[in-house]
Amino acid sequence: MTAGSRSRPAVLAALALSALAPLALLLVASVGRDWFYPAPWPPSVTLESWWDAFRGGGRMAAALGTSLVLAVSTGLAGAVVGWPIGRALADLRGWPRHLGAAAAFLPVAVPPVSLATGLHLSALTAGVAGTAGGVFLSHLVPAAGYAALYFLGVFTLFDRRVEDEARTLGAGPWTVLWRVTMPMMRRQMGEAFLLGFLVSWAQVATTLVIGGGRVRTLPLEVFAYLQAGQDRYAATGALLLVIPALLMLGTVRLAVERAEATPL
Amino acid sequence: MTAPTLEVRGVSVPFGDAPGLRDIGFALDPGERLVVLGASGAGKTTLLRAIAGLAPLAAGRLTVGGHDVTARPAESRDAVYLHQTPLLFPHLSVFENVAFPLRIRGYRDSEVRASVAELLESVRLEGLAGRRPHTLSGGQKHRAALARAMAARPAVLLLDEPLSALDPALRDEVRATLLSLQARYRPAMVIVTHDLEDAAVLGDRIGILLGGTLAQLDQPGRLFRRPASLAVARFLGVPNLVAGSVSASQFESALGPIPVEAETPRGPATAVFGSGALHPDPCGSLRGVVRSVHHGPRGVTLRVDVAGIELEAAPGAGAIPDPGDEFSLGLERDRVTVLPGTGDV
Repeated sequence: MTAGSRSRPAVLAALALSALAPLALLLVASVGRDWFYPAPWPPSVTLESWWDAFRGGGRMAAALGTSLVLAVSTGLAGAVVGWPIGRALADLRGWPRHLGAAAAFLPVAVPPVSLATGLHLSALTAGVAGTAGGVFLSHLVPAAGYAALYFLGVFTLFDRRVEDEARTLGAGPWTVLWRVTMPMMRRQMGEAFLLGFLVSWAQVATTLVIGGGRVRTLPLEVFAYLQAGQDRYAATGALLLVIPALLMLGTVRLAVERAEATPL
Repeated sequence: MTAPTLEVRGVSVPFGDAPGLRDIGFALDPGERLVVLGASGAGKTTLLRAIAGLAPLAAGRLTVGGHDVTARPAESRDAVYLHQTPLLFPHLSVFENVAFPLRIRGYRDSEVRASVAELLESVRLEGLAGRRPHTLSGGQKHRAALARAMAARPAVLLLDEPLSALDPALRDEVRATLLSLQARYRPAMVIVTHDLEDAAVLGDRIGILLGGTLAQLDQPGRLFRRPASLAVARFLGVPNLVAGSVSASQFESALGPIPVEAETPRGPATAVFGSGALHPDPCGSLRGVVRSVHHGPRGVTLRVDVAGIELEAAPGAGAIPDPGDEFSLGLERDRVTVLPGTGDV
């Protein structure tokens, strides 16, 4: 047995602890009543904040709904916009391709506050500042950038001769798209959607700046609860924010297994 | 007079900034098979892609069944292009792959089922209709791709190196399927390959693509026996090229005089012939010494020194000589082609 294999269980245990401990702490905090430092455990528990998250008319439930609508819309739109951009970039060679990829990467790379400030000016000009539509567009900018970069990789590896052969079999460009390329890319489209969903789901700066406080998403509510010292509600909101990320991990794992079983 | 199934007239196709293919021309009748032979990078695939509508022409005209298709998109040319590796749609079953050309043409489901069943039976895949492509063997994938191509009932089938990547057993299987489907559905075929044996077996005619042009277009027997130029002879791997000169209706070289046709230009020339034209003959006028003996899949050949020239000869019907043996050789002069020029022979 090598030193590496002897230390592997300890490393795995440390990783599991570092991943699960904060979640466990959040879970306890989300149900703990009157839990103050230095008490190791809450003196009593309540599901009040969880009820608020799923009760119609509740503040957290409204924010959760807004976040879901925005994230789903952003995920869908990001995949739809990112597909043709990524494909067009994959067709380029040399410096135009690098330039295009850099342009797609820019909204992803710049600090969210800088992006939000820049978009705010545009949103004011377009008259969408302070609206859900404006927030959606501000989420779409980085989401489409991520999706474009993702599809750039996908289409760089895609064998276009499949499409060529479909054309000579009698399929026009739209038929090839609907009946060949898109069905072949179902998994990739799903992953691009999830990418856009998570980008929107985690946005704070753009939502705050473009929404002007009128569009309340779950991350904003978590901040508000923290600032107000309502730790139980903040913990509940934070846990709700984690769920899609965990779902995505599971989905990606399943997708990888499926891809290994069914090569494209 | 009926129009040819495929007519390629004066076609030029650029390769990026290079001139590419120039002034390519031929016509195919229904059910005829043309094999285009060329080295790697000669433009064979480009030619097929241009006919299929997947690469733009710089000049020329294409007709299918008498209709000008030069400006038509790939999907409207009635010419199906099959790549070297079978590119079945991975998200569809074998049945749906073969049904694809029928479904996009709006055939009724009952017609699709009947047609696909017939095609799958003709390629012996009827038991695998529900399988996904990635579960098929290499030969099964090729047969499925051929069935799908035939489902479109194309006037022209374009095949890019269809047998090149296959092992010998699979090659025979795919070749047999290809020929049986063609006999049944009668598309004209353009097949590109770099393999002389595939060309000889598959081609009703063979075109040699050299330097961007069709250097020779002929029936296999005539092409292999009578290459039109030294470049073609070299490409075909004709083993014996003997420099000499033509004067007074005969070719003179170290091998002695060989009669030539009256119109053969006088001056430097080269005699080209295969190993089968030179063999041991007790009455032969040439003397040779065996330098080496080569055993290959298609029999034995001898490397023989004749008058200071190393030539390839067939061993004849008798015992195979050993290196160093000296014997008489006969040259079948009617199997010798005399071509103008000597190049660097």
